[in-house]
Amino acid sequence: MDIQEYISLVFEDYTLRTITLGTAILGAICGMLGSFAVLRKQSLLGDAISHAALPGIAIAFLIMGAKDNNTLLIGALISGLIGTFWIRGITKNTHLKSDTALGLTLSLFFGFGMLLLTFIQKQPNASQAGLDKYLFGQAATLLEKDVWLMAIVAGVCLVILLLFWKEFKILLFDADYTKTLGFNTTFIDILITTFIVITIVLGLQTVGVVLMSAMLLAPAAAARQWTNSLGIMVILAAIFGAFSGVVGTGISASQSNLPTGPVIVLVAASIVLFSFIFSPNRGLLFREIRFRKNRNNIKMQKTLAFMYGIAKNHENISHPHMINILNGFQGFSKKSLQELVDLNYVKIKGKKWSMTQQGFETAANLYDQQIRNTHE
Amino acid sequence: MNSAQIIIQIIVALVAVACAIPGTFLVLRKMSLISDAISHSILLGIVIGFFIVKDTSSPLLIVLAALTGVITVMLVEFIQKTGLVKEDTAIGLVFPALFSIGVILIAKNANDVHLDIDSVMVGDLSFAPFDPLLINCTEGIADSCINLGPKAIWVIGTILLITLVLLFLFFKELKVSTFDAGLAAALGFSPIIMHYGLMTVSSITIVGAFDAVGPILVVALMIAPAATAYLFTKDLKKMLLLSCFFGVFAAISGYWLAHMLDASISGSMTTVLAVLFLLVYEPIITSIVVSFIAGTSIIFHQYLGKTTDGLEHLLLWQKLKAIFSQFTFLDYVYIFGITAILTTFLIYILPKRGVIFGYYKVRQQKTEIMLLVFLLHIRNHTEESERHVKHLNEHINWQRIRSKSIVELAQKNNMITITDQIISLTAKGEDFTEKAIDYIITNKDTEIEGMKDDFFLFRG
Repeated sequence: MDIQEYISLVFEDYTLRTITLGTAILGAICGMLGSFAVLRKQSLLGDAISHAALPGIAIAFLIMGAKDNNTLLIGALISGLIGTFWIRGITKNTHLKSDTALGLTLSLFFGFGMLLLTFIQKQPNASQAGLDKYLFGQAATLLEKDVWLMAIVAGVCLVILLLFWKEFKILLFDADYTKTLGFNTTFIDILITTFIVITIVLGLQTVGVVLMSAMLLAPAAAARQWTNSLGIMVILAAIFGAFSGVVGTGISASQSNLPTGPVIVLVAASIVLFSFIFSPNRGLLFREIRFRKNRNNIKMQKTLAFMYGIAKNHENISHPHMINILNGFQGFSKKSLQELVDLNYVKIKGKKWSMTQQGFETAANLYDQQIRNTHE
Repeated sequence: MNSAQIIIQIIVALVAVACAIPGTFLVLRKMSLISDAISHSILLGIVIGFFIVKDTSSPLLIVLAALTGVITVMLVEFIQKTGLVKEDTAIGLVFPALFSIGVILIAKNANDVHLDIDSVMVGDLSFAPFDPLLINCTEGIADSCINLGPKAIWVIGTILLITLVLLFLFFKELKVSTFDAGLAAALGFSPIIMHYGLMTVSSITIVGAFDAVGPILVVALMIAPAATAYLFTKDLKKMLLLSCFFGVFAAISGYWLAHMLDASISGSMTTVLAVLFLLVYEPIITSIVVSFIAGTSIIFHQYLGKTTDGLEHLLLWQKLKAIFSQFTFLDYVYIFGITAILTTFLIYILPKRGVIFGYYKVRQQKTEIMLLVFLLHIRNHTEESERHVKHLNEHINWQRIRSKSIVELAQKNNMITITDQIISLTAKGEDFTEKAIDYIITNKDTEIEGMKDDFFLFRG
């Protein structure tokens, strides 16, 4: 199936259109809110909350006895929020660190949820089949109303984000300063955490408990590599999230037996990998290139300085010397000598080199310049 | 108790101890979430191993899975070292990616693979006693094998033994490198070797316990007992022993809870762990809740024994309603009595670390500090205007009620005297502030060592 055919199919086929739209919207909200989670060093909050939502789903099912999607989501939301407050409470009130608090919430809530799930499976009303889709997610079960719900949440989220942009931003980078300015930091904090929890709960159905954390993290971590501005990062993360949602759905739809959630996560992970390597400022590739360039530069400067040391002892600075007296010197290499020639600092005649006036002056000011640079 | 039940209990107890030991070090090293990452990503190792040997019981699976665990740790560290993202983000990126690959591999080959993600994720102990380790099998002859008992006991027993031997051999090194990696390096123990050793042991333990309890509950068994023990004590040896104890306690009582509720063993083990942690973290509230549930369920159970017929088809809450409607007034009195007795007992045996006690302690410390500030203020000023009772409100910026209570407190302890609304220090107050200033300036505990008895407030 070629791409054009697939695109036309997306517009015609109800299921495919719903899933594509759903995963795209989900990816976009995850990217937006994930940026805040990543920058606040709460990356693994998503992991903990998505696990903590399980007992809520199970209890909602036990109480209502029906598999109404929205009831289960509300249950998940409540237990996710309880989990969040648990984490905050534990780190605040005890000497346990945040990683332990996260791990505790994650595993204890999930274990309790598993207990309830297995308990439900023994109950006589057998409509529980499908509860375990929350474990791994099944994008195929997305309905149009689910997508609408996601779209509404995304809209509200966007409005809140724009309204409280300044507050979110300042809380992100300097919480203490925010407090001294008179902002209610607890309120802002709870607001943004609540939205993160809502997003996670919405995503459970699509990508499942285990992979939800990656949905939240990966687009933001990728976007972080390309920019230092929060606004651009949030927009980029939303684009990356939506992109991985659409592409992941496409790949999983084009082949049989390919679960959507893991494919989306892998697409997002590839974007992260690409950003890690190829982003112009922070990326590993360009960083290595810059590193090499600097090293060569230093080598060249060292050679020049060494030559200067020899040349200044002679009356005529362009007095020729043998090249092989440089051989024992560490900074010297054929490449650095060639660079010096290219810059017209040094002239080479046969096996001898001589310094030019320009080279002599540059060498004399070489370290002055460095001192000046570091002082400025 | 039949032999299968005993065997399951032995297995869970062994798993609990084997998890608690590396778990303690992970909690202390602030690396609890690494266990979560490992437990997820070993799925990939298991799947790959399965494709190679086409046999779920091969030891190659364990080796490959443990290797994946170590690779996960290395990948996390590699990403972290590039400085592009923080450590937690690195963890959060690596394990879902590896896990996704595992899930996709299973799904793509679902037709010819007998690996079910559901069972892999939850773990199943019910059949463990009936899966014996057979050796010396001769090809083609039935019953030629020597039966060495359940395989799970052998696997987890071996892992536990290795862990214990390593723990005793390298206890000192582990301790130093956990609390002061720099010192460990200076003393010549490589913190890196210790780190990877611990990671390898954790990885192998997680893999070994994986079959029995599933990945997420392995995390619970590693972190929760250690965290609970950490709230009790700060002594490493005590912490290790306590966390093993909590683990075994949760394992065995969890087994019986599962037996009663007819639910998953691993789920109920975690639930017991959660209750244990809550009892230590929020003793008063949890004690009341736990005692109330226990009391209610005792009475509930008696009614359930009488009226089982006709209830099977009802929903859970309908069932509950039907039974609760039969309760008489006396039953509620019983529940109340049981709750009261159990709560008192639980609160009595628990350490005073709960939220309510903590709040009380914070209040007390606040008062101490305010008193100190107040006395120092009085000491620093000789002029009468600064020492006027009413002046305190505006100067130290306290509310009126608070400043009044502090003045009264100081007066009660003979620190100050008030004449004509002017406060002056008594000899005792002078002495007290003198010492306090010494302590503040030098910041040495020795300065107040002799004075701890004088600090009437610190003594309560």
